[in-house]
Formats: sequence, C-alpha cells, structure tokens
Amino acid sequence: MDQKTRNELLKLFKSKLNEAMRLYLETCTRCGVCTEACHVYASTGQVKHIAAYRSEIIRRLYKKYFKIRGKLWPSLSESKELTDVALEELFEAAYSCTGCRRCMVYCPFGIDTQMLMSIAKLLLIGANTEPEILTLLADTSVEKGKSIDLFKEGFLQGIKNLEKEVVKKWKAEAGDSVIPVDVMGADILYVALAGAHSIIPAAAIFNAAGENWTLSFFEAVNFGAFVGDPTKTKLILDRIINEALRLKVKEVCICECGTAFRVMKQLSGKQPFKVSSITEVHARYFKEGRIKIDPGKFNTAITYHDPCQLARNAGVMDEPRYILSQMTKDFRDMTPDPTYNWCCGGGGGLVALGDETIDFRMKSARVKADQVKKTEARILATACENCHSQLSDLNDHYKMNVEVKFLSSMIADALVSE
Amino acid sequence: MQTIFYIILVPMVYLSVAVFALGTLVRIIKIFKGPRHPTTLQIYPEKKAKWLGALYDTFFFPTVRKHKPVLWVFLILFHAGLILLFIGHLELIWDLSLFQIIPHEPFLGKGFVGLTLAVSLLFFLFRRFSSPVRELSVPEDYYLLILLFLIVLFGSQMDWARRWYEYGELSLEDYRDYFMSLMTFRPELPYNATFSGHSFMLILHVFLANLFLIFFPFSQSMHAFLSLPINKLRRG
Repeated sequence: MDQKTRNELLKLFKSKLNEAMRLYLETCTRCGVCTEACHVYASTGQVKHIAAYRSEIIRRLYKKYFKIRGKLWPSLSESKELTDVALEELFEAAYSCTGCRRCMVYCPFGIDTQMLMSIAKLLLIGANTEPEILTLLADTSVEKGKSIDLFKEGFLQGIKNLEKEVVKKWKAEAGDSVIPVDVMGADILYVALAGAHSIIPAAAIFNAAGENWTLSFFEAVNFGAFVGDPTKTKLILDRIINEALRLKVKEVCICECGTAFRVMKQLSGKQPFKVSSITEVHARYFKEGRIKIDPGKFNTAITYHDPCQLARNAGVMDEPRYILSQMTKDFRDMTPDPTYNWCCGGGGGLVALGDETIDFRMKSARVKADQVKKTEARILATACENCHSQLSDLNDHYKMNVEVKFLSSMIADALVSE
Repeated sequence: MQTIFYIILVPMVYLSVAVFALGTLVRIIKIFKGPRHPTTLQIYPEKKAKWLGALYDTFFFPTVRKHKPVLWVFLILFHAGLILLFIGHLELIWDLSLFQIIPHEPFLGKGFVGLTLAVSLLFFLFRRFSSPVRELSVPEDYYLLILLFLIVLFGSQMDWARRWYEYGELSLEDYRDYFMSLMTFRPELPYNATFSGHSFMLILHVFLANLFLIFFPFSQSMHAFLSLPINKLRRG
C-alpha cells in the first residue's frame, strides 16, 4: 500500500472518531468476558471470532496512528501498521461479524463491536476491497432514488399483477384500491422489500384492518448500511423520508427487515411522522380488534426468532410474542430473555452475499440451529427477510425440521372476517 | 544513593502526579470534545432509570457476575480493596473521623486488604496466561498487572511488617510526616524513610506507584473514568 492510499484511509478512519467511538476504542481491558457472546466463536471455537479480538484489530491501527504511545512504544499494545495484510484482516473481522451486538450484553463496559466494525467497513470501501455486490446494490438503490420516473410505470404494472394474490387472502371492498400507491395524506406509508412476499400479506392485513395506507415506491432494505457506507446509507434513507414528507403521511411502517427498520427508526431524525415496524403495527391491530384470525389455523408448536436489529437493537420484543399468543396456545420461547437470543448468522450483509458466504454462515450458526431444535417447535416464525433466508438455509443444513415463516404471512394466512 | 532516593521520593512524586492529572484531563477532553453519535447505541429492552442503571453497571459489573462469576468475585474484591487502600492513604494525611466509625489505625483491614488485592492481581495475571484471554492480551496488560502487584506487595509489606511481625522502625508518624511535607510543598524526608531497614520498601513502593501514575493516562486504567459514560451509552 502506498503512502497516499494510507493517508486517504486514515482520513476515513479519523472521520469515524466521534465521542462514542473513542470511548469504545479506549476502554477495553481485554478481560475476555465477551468470549462466549459471539455465535461465530460459540459455533466454531476460533479465537479470532471473539468480539474483543475483532475489536483489537481496529484498536491496534488506532493506537498506531492516533495515540502517542502507539508511536513511541508500538510493542506495548502491539500497535500495527495499515498495510494490505491489515486490510485482509479487517475484511475477515468485518464480514464475519453480523453486527448482532450480543457481545454488548456481555461486556462490562458495553463496547459496541458493530460500531468498531463500521471503521473496518469504511476502510475497505476506501481501499475498494469491500464486497462489490453490496456496493452495486447500494448504488442501484441510490440511482432509483434519483430517477423515480424511469421505473415508476414498470413498478405500477408489477403491483397491479399482485392484486389478485392479495384479494385471495382478503377480499377488498368495492371501489377500494387493493394496493394503493402515491396516496396523499395516507395514515401509513408502507415500505416493503422488492418481492411479492413482502407486499401481498402486508396489503391483505392493511385492507383487513381498514387502514388508510399507501405503498412506497422504494424498497426498505438499506445496502448502504450493510456495506458500511454512511453517505449511501443516508441517500437511501432520504428517498423514503422525502416520499413520506411529500405524501404527508402520519406513520412510516417498515416491512420485515431488521436493518431497514433500525436505520429508519434511529437515523431519520425528528420528523412529522412516526416510524414503526410492521410487527408493531400488526400487534396494534390485534389489540384494537381491527383484525381477526382463525386461532386454530396453526395447530402446532411455534417458536419465534428475534431478529437482532429489531429486538436487541431496536426494542421490538413484546409485540411478536403478543401476536403469536393470539395465534397459538403452544408458543415456545427460545430463551427466557430475548436480549440473549442468538443471531441467525446472516446479518451484516452476509445473506446478501449469497453463495459466497453460505459455508461460513452454516458453520458459524450451529448454536442457532441447536437453539431452534431444542424448542421442538414445528413452525419457526421471524420478522426479518435476512433472518428468514438464513434460517431457511439452516433448516436445510441442520435438518431442524421446522417450517420457517414470516410472521406477517402467518397473520395474512389466518385472517378471517368475523 | 541518597540523591536517588530523594529524587524518587520528592520530585518524581510531583512529576508523576502532574502527568497523571494533566494526562487524564487531556485524554478525557479529547474523547468528549468529539461529536456525539447521531443515533442511540442502547441495548433493549429499555430501562427507565438510565443513569442509575449505568452507575450500577459501573460499580457492580452485573454482566461479569452473570457470565464469569469467579472473575466477578475477584473484581469486586480488587476494586473494593482499592477504595479501602485509597482511604488508608488519605488517613495517612489527615485523621478522618468519618472512617473511624470502626476504630482502627490506618490502614483498614489489618493488612488483609493488601493481601486480598495481591491475590486478586495474581488471579488476573494468571488468567491471562491461559487461552482464550492469552490471545486477547497485549504486553501492556501484563506490565500493568505486574506493576500493580509489585506496588501492592511493597506497600502492604510495610503494613504487614508493623502489624504481623512487629517490625515498626518505620512508624505511622514517619509516613505521616513524609506525606504531609509533600502535601504542603515543604518536602522533608524523615530519617527512617531513607535510612531504616525497611526504607527500601517505601522507596520501591513510591517508585512503582510513580510509574503507575505516569502510565495511567496512557493505559486502559483510564476505564476508571470512562466506565460510567460508556455504560451510559448502552443504557441509552
């Protein structure tokens, strides 16, 4: 690596050094309490996957370039130069961490490994060594935000084609639009994923609840967040914020995507609309008696996987349990405390990287598979696209003998009019 | 030799306290002058008493108690012992009636506080020799623990000598005179501090404590000041 590149990368490093980041970089005592926290370490036993070990890779660079002692006495804390080899280490650390933040629950100081890994991801972007596919997907999302008119017609036609499927689940009132789009003053702007499975059940439930809703032109997933690019994360987010402001909606409802919800909820700032996850909205409908379901529809044991970004990192824990309590008498929680739930092993962009990461994803999530098997449930419900894909792969790989289902699909399938 | 003893016991003490105070201040300012993180960094479920929760996390290490109970016992003993030793050093300067609820001569604990601290430090040190903590550790972690162990050992030895095997050449009054002279910026070394049989214990204790104070702002010992704000981030 030449000096110019190194300097550029160090500028990026410096841009991440806010108050919280410095606290995370300067406080670790390497006590090892976080050892058992990471699902990758728990599944593989490899020391390089302990949270403190990952963080130390960043910390050694920090000491080398931003601390006097790292310059004067490098061996004291094993400060390290930023080289091509260091970048390889950063890649391995960043893209084997799913950002689940389970280690924060163990650490006596609450050090956020996901935050520290965001430095690694930004340096990889600066060195053009990040996973290319994530950047491409992020760029596509940004581009879509810039030129909405180019894809609007195709999108509307695609939506039209889904209406029949929605009506199969819930018959719309005469004159009502089955999948409303671009509705000014709607109560809810629903931001789905690019896929029928994310739109059909949600539309059926909104219609069953008599909701005044509208579908967003944009998909919820934020590939900018996965790849760790703050600029693209913001641009992708802004598309939805601008649409919500333009339509003057009261609430933005994010589909079953943990990262999308957390980014929208925590990064959108003070806005005239509230941000909810679709699981929260569905729980509300149940409580208000706006939707009814056939309680005998799923006559089997059901367990629920808490998506890390939705539960531990955004607080949606009670709502899915409330929903499931309406749907089954045999709900089996995986852990007495959702804060400690194991990550599915697919977060942080790993599922989006597809087959490239499948081997690692399967090996690193053995503990998750064990946790699911232990419940002996036959349905594994979840409320996140990433988790659903990963859990389905785990189901095949570890023969978990469950049916992996989206919570919203289960509700939509069980809808009854009276 | 007496010149070296004087340097250690007087100018080096002032220097190390200055480095400690200034270094710690600069480091804290540097951390907190940075911009705030734009989003919450908390872990859910959300608890209402955030500051109280952060204080609890800072002083009682509940996550360690849950996941490494043996380590927790030693951590609590060590940190409680540190507080008692700090009080003990204050009592060398002033007669603090507040701490005389249980009548005692400095230090509290009849020598057992130092012993507990020494054993705890050995525990912390030895656990760093076994995997996986070994792989996580860097030289600084070992240096710091060895340094602290030696400080405690030489410091406690002075206490043990008086209490446990009646070697009282260096009396409490000698320590008091020395400490007070430093505090009032009229440094004076009692004869026994540099010429008695146990004076080398004092000199080594002070020398190593000086090193620790100088090293403090540049080491992870700073968690003493950073633990509360960082725990507050987790509490939201």
